[in-house]
Amino acid sequence: MDIRSQISMVFHLDKCIGCHTCSVACKNIWTDRKGAEYQWWNNVETKPGTGYPGKWEDQDIYKGGWEKKSNGAGNGESGDIKLKGAGKRKGLGNIFHNPNLPVIDDYYEPFTYKYLDLIESPAGDDQPTARPVSLITGKHIDIKMGPNWDDDLGGSPDYARNDPNLKNLTPAEREAMFQLEKMAFFYLPRICNHCLNPGCVASCPSGALYKRGEDGIVLVNQEVCRGWRMCVTACPYKKTYYNWHTGKSEKCILCFPRIEAGLAPACMHSCVGRIRYLGVVLYDADKIQDVASAPEDELVNRHMDIMLDPNDPEVIEAAKQNGVADSTIRSAQASPIYKFVKEWGMALPLHSEFRTLPMLFYVPPLLPVMASLSRANNAEQAEKLGAKTKFWSDDWLYDTSTEELFGTIDQARFPLQYMANLFSAGDTDMVRERLMKLMAVRIHRRHVTVGDVSKEKADGALHEAGLTAEMADAIYYLTALAKFDDRFVIPAAHREQAIEMMEFTGDKKGNTGFGFKEGTAQRGL
Amino acid sequence: MTNSSSLERHAAGPGFFLMIVALVLPAFCWAQTSGEQLFQASCSACHSIGGGRRVGPDLDGVVERRSEAWLGQFIKSSQSLVKSGDAEAVAVFEEFSSMVMPDFPLPDEEIAELLVYIGAQGSNVPEVVAANVAEETQAATPVSADHVLKGLELFQGSTRFSNGGPGCNACHHVKNDAVIGGGILARELTTVFSRMGGDGVGAILGQAPFPVMQAAYKNQPLTEDEIAYLVAFLQSADEQHLFQQPRDYGFGLFASGALGAGVMYLFFAIIWRGRKRGSVNQEIYDRQPPSHN
Repeated sequence: MDIRSQISMVFHLDKCIGCHTCSVACKNIWTDRKGAEYQWWNNVETKPGTGYPGKWEDQDIYKGGWEKKSNGAGNGESGDIKLKGAGKRKGLGNIFHNPNLPVIDDYYEPFTYKYLDLIESPAGDDQPTARPVSLITGKHIDIKMGPNWDDDLGGSPDYARNDPNLKNLTPAEREAMFQLEKMAFFYLPRICNHCLNPGCVASCPSGALYKRGEDGIVLVNQEVCRGWRMCVTACPYKKTYYNWHTGKSEKCILCFPRIEAGLAPACMHSCVGRIRYLGVVLYDADKIQDVASAPEDELVNRHMDIMLDPNDPEVIEAAKQNGVADSTIRSAQASPIYKFVKEWGMALPLHSEFRTLPMLFYVPPLLPVMASLSRANNAEQAEKLGAKTKFWSDDWLYDTSTEELFGTIDQARFPLQYMANLFSAGDTDMVRERLMKLMAVRIHRRHVTVGDVSKEKADGALHEAGLTAEMADAIYYLTALAKFDDRFVIPAAHREQAIEMMEFTGDKKGNTGFGFKEGTAQRGL
Repeated sequence: MTNSSSLERHAAGPGFFLMIVALVLPAFCWAQTSGEQLFQASCSACHSIGGGRRVGPDLDGVVERRSEAWLGQFIKSSQSLVKSGDAEAVAVFEEFSSMVMPDFPLPDEEIAELLVYIGAQGSNVPEVVAANVAEETQAATPVSADHVLKGLELFQGSTRFSNGGPGCNACHHVKNDAVIGGGILARELTTVFSRMGGDGVGAILGQAPFPVMQAAYKNQPLTEDEIAYLVAFLQSADEQHLFQQPRDYGFGLFASGALGAGVMYLFFAIIWRGRKRGSVNQEIYDRQPPSHN
């Protein structure tokens, strides 16, 4: 056992309102610079939709992530995996021309408006307008795309219908998703997953990318990066970006300066819907290779299994031996992530079939509000109204009562298969299980607060979903009532220990304190 | 600030006057030495004073033969004098195989000093010696193959000059089977040996009168041996130039380059045939009507 700690996240999609506050918070802090204008380390996509950059999930286009060699498919344990579009040999062959990179038009050409023209234009016959200018060329442009252009199904034939996740759906299922009255969508906020088996780190010819030992945050060393852009190809989530001004690649740093100071990352801190949870988990690093090369149908479960119980004495002992701090272990015991992912089994990783073992998990959305459809006999009513009066000719009854508990999950406006393509490598049972839990907690809380559901029915629903009343209340608390410190359990960074490894602190003892500032002021944290 | 003001205070002391004297004194000696310096720097490569013909005429007694004004004009720009049809200038130009003397835009005072020096030097040299020297320079002595080879390597730059000067073929070309296309920035040197003679070539290499060459070798002069090797090479190139048939690549060079590029493009098109082309959103962009600017 090689126990390590990893900062992990859960995004509760049932709560996301798609306000993009997270994206704006991130942009204002990190990517409001020349060369980074087009980068959205945090972005919110509308699903179904093609996302940002366009069709990023389609690895036939972008060649991201790992692929399992077909000959090793049966072996399970021993089947080795290789990067689809990068790696040693492919990287060397393509080092001067990287053939699968997204171009700026796959993201969008960043722009601003000439606002000053509105107040500084000389008097004239026409109203002045603020014309858009490109942030790359500085010239006037026609805006053709934005980072969330497909927001709320805008232009759905181009975006929603081209969603790569529709690929295993039957034509009828697809068509049903886009019926006018049945149309639905949800939001998918995305940041770097800080994967356990990151493709970007594996692909870098310069060795500039690394995964921090203490908390697993994946970073690009800007001093070492040579701008080969292999990481841009290798990341299947397209979450490393090339800065055309500095000539280096950049990515989400999970606001590590904030985390080290005990603050939540800016996107999570600012989240209006409070959908984001962050905490530390303990995992067994020896198993990474086995898990990442597991057969596709076992991937998700084995990914979950790599995370260990932080209350298990054996795990605690092994973690301590490996240098994991006591405070980190205590933090892992209080982690909301462990609860959502392991204890309650409510969250799933995004696109585990890319085999990078992402450590950002999503609670799938229970959308839209459930109702059951049944046949009703409208003949009597129709007769009463007579031939001249208009009446509904169909005989569907849209029943929002709670008599039928889970019958509607399979008839959700979103086919389960679509959700499964996103969150469970195509396994609909796994998604159904999570949706049932979400539904059961609602039924339980309706019994407690409204009382129109009988206790037997509520308990039956919980039992069927594999929950107890205590668990359901805990889920309810963490979902609906949780305070800041419940949502973000951030371990102490122990910077002082890290510094002591590099330099002797006695050198400074007795030399600092009240006095005059000399040299440049450096930010001491 | 404090440093500079203390300097000023020191300067006002008795040492200051000494310093003034030390600065002004050399200016009086300048007039005597600068004529010689100028001659060595600019003229001696091609001209001697009483040493016989080199590339250009012997300047012994030239100040008596020509007027000072004429000499001044010739030094400043010999070609404008020749083109203006001055009979004497044309005669000298043609006598020395139409070799152009470079322009020396010196101020009048320096020309005067130069002429004073030439006038003073001329009578010092016995005429007999001058005649002997002249005969020697004209006789072309056979050269050793070893020297020719070393000269060729130096010319092409395959052996570096010991002081690091640039190779000759960067600017010059020589028609020779062993030389692959030299530069066309400066004169073609195939027959330079018969035009200037060994001493003339050697003198130019030692102390170039041409501004560009001067600048190029200012801090990295050629050594005596290197000059000897180059002269030997140029002599042999001159003697043999009629029998040399260096290959003329002509259009073939361009064609093979174009063909090579074509093959490479084809090769790249095959290895990267599965590459991502254009934007995934291109179809959407193409449909959007442009605004009318």
